[in-house]
Order: sequence, then C-alpha cells, then structure tokens
Amino acid sequence: MKLKRMMGIGALVLMMALVLSACTGVGLQPAAPAESGEQAMAGEPTVITWAFWGSPEEAASHKRVADAFMAEHPEIQIEVWNQPWDDYFTKIQALWASGDAKVIPDVAFLWPTPRYAAEGVLENLDPYIEASGYNLDDYWPGLLESAKFEGSVYGFPRDIEANVIYYNKDMFDAAGVAYPSDDWTWDDFLAAAEALTQKDANGMTTVYALAAEGGKWTKWVNQNGGGILDDYTNPSTCMLTDPASVAGIQFFADLMEQGYAMRPADLNQAGGDAGVFSSGQAAMILQNTSRVSAFNAAGMNYDVAPAPTPADGKRWNGAGGAAWVMSSGSDNKDAAWTFIQWLQSDGGGQTLYTEAGEIFPALQSVANSPAFMTDQPPANKQAIITEAAASDVGGFGYFPEWGELSGSIIEPGMEAIWAGEVDVESGLADICTQVDQFLADNEYPK
Amino acid sequence: MTPHTSSRRLFRWRPDQQWEGYLFILPSFLGFLVFIVLAVVMSLGISVSEWGLTGFKGFAGLINYQQLLRDPVFWQTSWNTAFYIVTIVPLQLALGLIMAVGLNQAIRGALVYRLIYFMPVVTTIVAGAIVFRLLLSTNGPVNSLLASAFGLFNLPFSAPNWLGSSQFSKWSVVLLTLWKNTGFTMVVYLAALQGVPRELYDAAHTDGANGWQRFRNVTLPLISPTTFFLFIFQMIGAFQLFTEPFVMTRGGPANSSLSVVQYIYFAAFRDIRMDKAAAMAWVLFIFIFAFTLFQNFMQKRWVYYESE
Repeated sequence: MKLKRMMGIGALVLMMALVLSACTGVGLQPAAPAESGEQAMAGEPTVITWAFWGSPEEAASHKRVADAFMAEHPEIQIEVWNQPWDDYFTKIQALWASGDAKVIPDVAFLWPTPRYAAEGVLENLDPYIEASGYNLDDYWPGLLESAKFEGSVYGFPRDIEANVIYYNKDMFDAAGVAYPSDDWTWDDFLAAAEALTQKDANGMTTVYALAAEGGKWTKWVNQNGGGILDDYTNPSTCMLTDPASVAGIQFFADLMEQGYAMRPADLNQAGGDAGVFSSGQAAMILQNTSRVSAFNAAGMNYDVAPAPTPADGKRWNGAGGAAWVMSSGSDNKDAAWTFIQWLQSDGGGQTLYTEAGEIFPALQSVANSPAFMTDQPPANKQAIITEAAASDVGGFGYFPEWGELSGSIIEPGMEAIWAGEVDVESGLADICTQVDQFLADNEYPK
Repeated sequence: MTPHTSSRRLFRWRPDQQWEGYLFILPSFLGFLVFIVLAVVMSLGISVSEWGLTGFKGFAGLINYQQLLRDPVFWQTSWNTAFYIVTIVPLQLALGLIMAVGLNQAIRGALVYRLIYFMPVVTTIVAGAIVFRLLLSTNGPVNSLLASAFGLFNLPFSAPNWLGSSQFSKWSVVLLTLWKNTGFTMVVYLAALQGVPRELYDAAHTDGANGWQRFRNVTLPLISPTTFFLFIFQMIGAFQLFTEPFVMTRGGPANSSLSVVQYIYFAAFRDIRMDKAAAMAWVLFIFIFAFTLFQNFMQKRWVYYESE
C-alpha cells in the first residue's frame, strides 16, 4: 500500500518535472538568434530586427524596402517585426521593458519620440550623425524638433504631415466657384464655402464645403499668430486663451456653426474625410498627402491648394511625423545606424517610399526630385511643397508628458467646442485652467 | 447518506497524508502565486513608486494618489463609471427578470426565443459595436424611428447625437452593454425560476393569492439569492467596464463616456505612467471591495435562503 502511494507521488513529481522542463524548453528557443552573432564573425550577415506597425499591405511595402537595402548591403540581414497599430505600442513597450537585447528591436518606427527617449530606451543619435557627417539640413524646418530630447536627436521622422486643401473640381465648377489660388485668404475661403454649401428646407446641411478632422485646428491657431503653449519643450503656461488663438479656434468653430464644415464627430460617424470627399458630401478636405493614392485610384477629378491664411496672418504647417529610432538596448548598433541612414537618404528608403506614393518625404531633396514630382494627380504639387516649407513647431509639445496632456485634457476639451456644447471662449478658458494645473503638477517649467 | 457520516469520511484528520494534498494543489497554487499574488503585490509597490517603462525610478509615497485627487479627468471618469453602475445594473436585472419570467411560460417556440436573447452574449462585442454605431448614427434608423414616433403625436423632435454629444454618449454605451449582457442575466434567472417548487404556488393559489401576489411573495423571495449573485456580479462588471466605451466612443466626446478602467489603460499604455495606472487600479479595487462588503452586510435584509 505504502509503496503504491510512493510510486504515485513519484509519477506526479515526474510529470511536473516534465511540464516544467517543457516550459523552459519553450523559453530557451528565442535564444537561437544569438547564434547569428557568432556566425557574423564567420562572414555571415549581421541580423537586425526592424519594428513597424501597419496592415499586411503596408508590411509588404516595408519588406520591399528591406529587400532593396539587403541587395545593397549583403552584410546586413533585416528581420521584420510587424504588429497592427492597436497592438504595436503595448507590445513594443513590453519588449523594451524586458531589457533583453535578444528580443529588443534594433530599429523601430515610433511616435512620440521624446516620450520614449525620456524612458531611456532610445539611442542618442548625435555621435553617429557627427561621425558619419549625416546631413540634417535637408530636413524640413522644425521637423527634427519632434524627434529631439534634451537637445539631442533620437530619431529621424520618415515623413512630414503637409496639410493642404483637397478640392473637388466638379463641385467647384457646378457651384460656379473659382478654384482656390495659392494665396487665398480666410475671407476667400468663407465666400467659397458659402457658395459650395447646400442646405435643405429645414436649414440642415446636405453638402458641406469642408470636412476636416478636429485635430487640424492647430493650423488655424498658428496661422493667426496664436499657439498652444508659450514653449514647446519647456512650457510654463497655456496660450489658448490668447486672443490670436481664440480667433483661430473661433474661425473653425464658426465654419461648423454655420453649417459650412462638418462637425468632427459627424465626420467620424460618416466614415472619415476620404469617404465624404469621395462620395461628394464635402467639396473640400484639409488633410495630409496620405489620401492621394486612394483618390487617384478612384479616378477623382480633384486638385490641391495651400490652406487659406488670415489676411494679416502667416502660412504655417505643423512639423511632425513618426520617426525611425534605434534602441539603446540594440546589440548591433553600427548595423542599425547603417540601415537608418540608408532609410533616410535620397536614393534609399526615402525615395522608395515616396515613389510608392506612401509618404511625403521628410527630406526636401527627395520632395523636389522626380520621385515626388510625377505626372500623377494632384497637378498642383507645388502647393504641398509650399505648405511643407512653412513647417514649424507649434502643433504639439516635445516634452514627455505631452501625450497625456493632449490626450486627456486638450483634445477632449476641443471636442466639446466642436460639438457646440460650450462656446469657444469659455471652452478654451476651461482647457487652459486644466493645462496650467497639469504643468504645475508636473513641475514645469523645469 | 446523511451529511454527518459523509463529513466523517471525507474530513478525517490524517496528518501523515496532508502533504500529498498540498502537492496536488501545487501546480495551480504556483500559477496563483505568480499571476495573482505577485501581480497584486507588484501593483501595490508600483503605485507608491515612480515607475516608467523600464521600471523603478524612485520611491514616491502617496504622491500618485494625491495627484489622482487633483486630476479632473479621474473625477470625470469616476462620475461616468458611477453613471454606468446606477443605470446598467438595475436595468439589466429588471430586463433580464422580465425576459426570464416571459420565457418561463409554456409558450410556443420558447427555446427559440431563449436562443435569440442569449445570442448577444456569445457575439463578438466589436461586431456588435459596429452595428450599434450604424444604428445610432445621427441619420441612422434609431433616430428615424424616433422622429416618426414623435411626428405621430406632433411633438417637436431634434435628433439626438448619440455618439457625438456629451449628453448622450454614455447612454449609447449603456444600450450596447444591456444588449450584450442581459441575455446572461435572463439565463441565470430562468434557472432560478425553474428551481422554485411548484407546490408553493399551489399553496398560494389555494390561499387566494392572485398572479402578482404569487410573483411578489413567492417568486421574488425564492430567487433573491440569484438576484444577490447577479447584483454583485453585474456591479463588478459595471465598475470594470472597458470594452463597451472603448469600441463605441473611445471615451469621447470630451471624456464624457470614458470609464475608469479605460483611463487606467490610457495611463499605462498611452502615457507610460504605470505608477498612476496602478494607483487608480487600487482606488478602483477599494471601491469594489467596499461596495461588495456593504452588499454582503445588507443581504440579511432582503436575501432569503431556503435552508435557513
């Protein structure tokens, strides 16, 4: 009896040992790539992991870029780590948090760069830039600011959001409105909007002059000489109650109040600006170049124009874009730098992405090259260059807590204004009270 | 077999055999230690530290908790969550009970109805949310129906913006949650109703009780343990509401439908403030724990156990 029991327990212990060893077996497997490091010395290529978000189609395009790089650099092999947007950030955070060089991606696509640089997971690129003489002057003005932390460059933005007005030529023709000029003003825009808007008997708009995402408000504020904060790296106070800022917001809110522009919540429900523009529900949209390939594929009769500016204002475009970064925990930093530098070069990744119609490039030389200046629509590509050349800081903060400040306080506050639930002045006053409180809580200015 | 003899056989004190028992629970106990106890202790530690992406940066004491008290978004999400609890829990219990009582009758096709009402429980919430977004859109079917209903009585009607206004966004989330979960409440109530002894109804009938009186004085007390279970269960569910607002409104507009758990998620993964997220999780836990204790205490007043 006793012997039988002992045997039973022995079997149980054996089973648990097997289960545990099976677990460690699985755990050991990711160590396999370590062998490639040893192989590299024997003439085998160095393997670097490249992380980005995107759909399978976007991933396929990234892989074509990786293939082109590997053809030029047989000594480096690129392994792809791809996740959909919704999972990308939580998963890459987990990889970095693990601190394990074997699983940390060497090169990653990232936004917002300062937030992660502050956590110490990104490599300071200054020494590499200096050693290789990489040219930073080719970037659009202000663009690199979005990838800097404490004065050093931690990433290279791949593209820049150059927000232009897309307009439906057929609808302008039908309404008898002249196409926008390159120097049209807010007043010109209002006149065109009034002629393009169609309303039903109850005064409800059926065709909108403009469909613009709520987040585009920074353009109106900065064009008018206003701003969000007094300083975008080390802020001390909120500037949204400044009269110039208020007037910029008021311009946008009035467009909605008068039924000229779709309210952002309605736009969202209607399927976004590409949808309402394609279906003729809106004659114009304010958007970056990401819509071009879809409108071209649909064969739409459209063109683009620079955004209208206030009579006594200036042209302004928000300088920012997701950037290629290097992990500070990378175990192949030199190869990673070679790859990043190639990605961000005329003739390298910048040209390939631009030719594929996926980006408006971060490098001015590529924007002015045949890669961008094709004979495909839109005809007025100069409008995009005009906006990009007016790029500047002012669209977002470059300090680590910006995402929280913007996501929890500023944008929700703006949503209430766009929905018409609060008037512009008191809405902005409320936002500024909370922003100033937030800055004080986080000990700004530092 | 009387309870007396069975307990004697099962629970006889055999000290020499005890360690084997521990050995048998060891695998799941290890899992419990690592995934529950360790996680709970860690989160308490994180909530009193300065803690970012790569880990410990310094001891922070109660600073994270103090920041929460001053954070208007936290108060807003707390209010939103309170709204979800006081609307979703009673509505779900009432609707579930009405559906269960209805389907407990001998009607044709009762099984088919039970299936239909239970389907949302096993349907993917994201798919449900997409359909709800279409139904509730400003020019959608719900508003068209409402408009014609108001028109019938010549009442003035302005179409509510279910998803895009602070006034109605919470109600959209409530509607989706009710659609999704009421089927579960119904099934549990159905089981409880079928456990009510027939003879009690016969006795009440003999005493001259009408239908409502039988329901009020026989059915309700006898299913009160089920009501108590569902109440606690749904309340905790409403406290922890995440997916419904996340897929319906993303918490907007103007944070008007943002739940506490959604804010915890944003703090952890959007803002990389693990410390603040952990502090919020603990505040939420304290509230859930306190409410559950309170209900446990209150149940003596209204929950009737047959065995007593």
